[in-house]
Amino acid sequence: MFDPDTELVKRAGQGDRAAAQALMARHLPKMMTLARRMLGRQAEAEDAVQDAFLKLWTHAARWEPGKAKFETWLYRVTMNKCYDRLRKRPGASLDEAAEVVDPTPAADAVLANAELGGEIEAALQALPERQRAALLLCHHQEMGNIEAAEVLGVSVEALESLLARGRRTLRARLGHLK
Amino acid sequence: MDDDAMWAEALLKDLPGVPAPAALERRILADFDRVAARRRGWFASLSGMVWPGAPAWQPAAVLAAALVVGIVAGSAVPLEDTTEQAATIALDAPPSFDLGEAS
Repeated sequence: MFDPDTELVKRAGQGDRAAAQALMARHLPKMMTLARRMLGRQAEAEDAVQDAFLKLWTHAARWEPGKAKFETWLYRVTMNKCYDRLRKRPGASLDEAAEVVDPTPAADAVLANAELGGEIEAALQALPERQRAALLLCHHQEMGNIEAAEVLGVSVEALESLLARGRRTLRARLGHLK
Repeated sequence: MDDDAMWAEALLKDLPGVPAPAALERRILADFDRVAARRRGWFASLSGMVWPGAPAWQPAAVLAAALVVGIVAGSAVPLEDTTEQAATIALDAPPSFDLGEAS
């Protein structure tokens, strides 16, 4: 399995700053977008992404090529950092949230609408985290089902179930669009 | 792809990306520098103080070269002849025992 990041990760692990910058340039925009859409809050998203990269820097020297695709691993780390923050929110429980759809978007999400231009962001924020993650990975980040399932740590069947429920809920809310 | 999937694809595909602020890039690189400095260890920290900005192999190579030059110079340059001086000292020294006393 050819991984275009292997060489850069190896060099970053040896302290090569240019390699670290190249890795950041390649992956930061996607990670930032994912975290921002997952969390709905800019500051939290930045912290989550920074934590994910810190984990990358500390693990780069021990990175074993061929074990996993680097990008998949980085997505997974970023997603876990997002989950950590969602769990820390007052009154939040990821397991409960995974089952219950919040009918009203959070205040932050409402504010975010102004910058993101719309109902789509609010509707995404109102989805349970895992459904939101599945939709974002497959439809926004254009990831295949197998890779997305790997990122989320679920089976492909479970991912498809999350996708189906997420799409239905989203369409029920935003059916008037498109 | 079913109808819901096509609908979601059309809706989400074109959502704009979220640009990463320059300050975040600086924070991430500062983290990298801290981790790299910690990994390099004491020798690199010391060489960084003596020879800032250079990779660790440069001060290490200079130290090794200095050692080699010192050893070569030490073995190639002839020592001053001290044999005569050592003999004189030996003759001037008082005897450590007296043969006459013993008999």
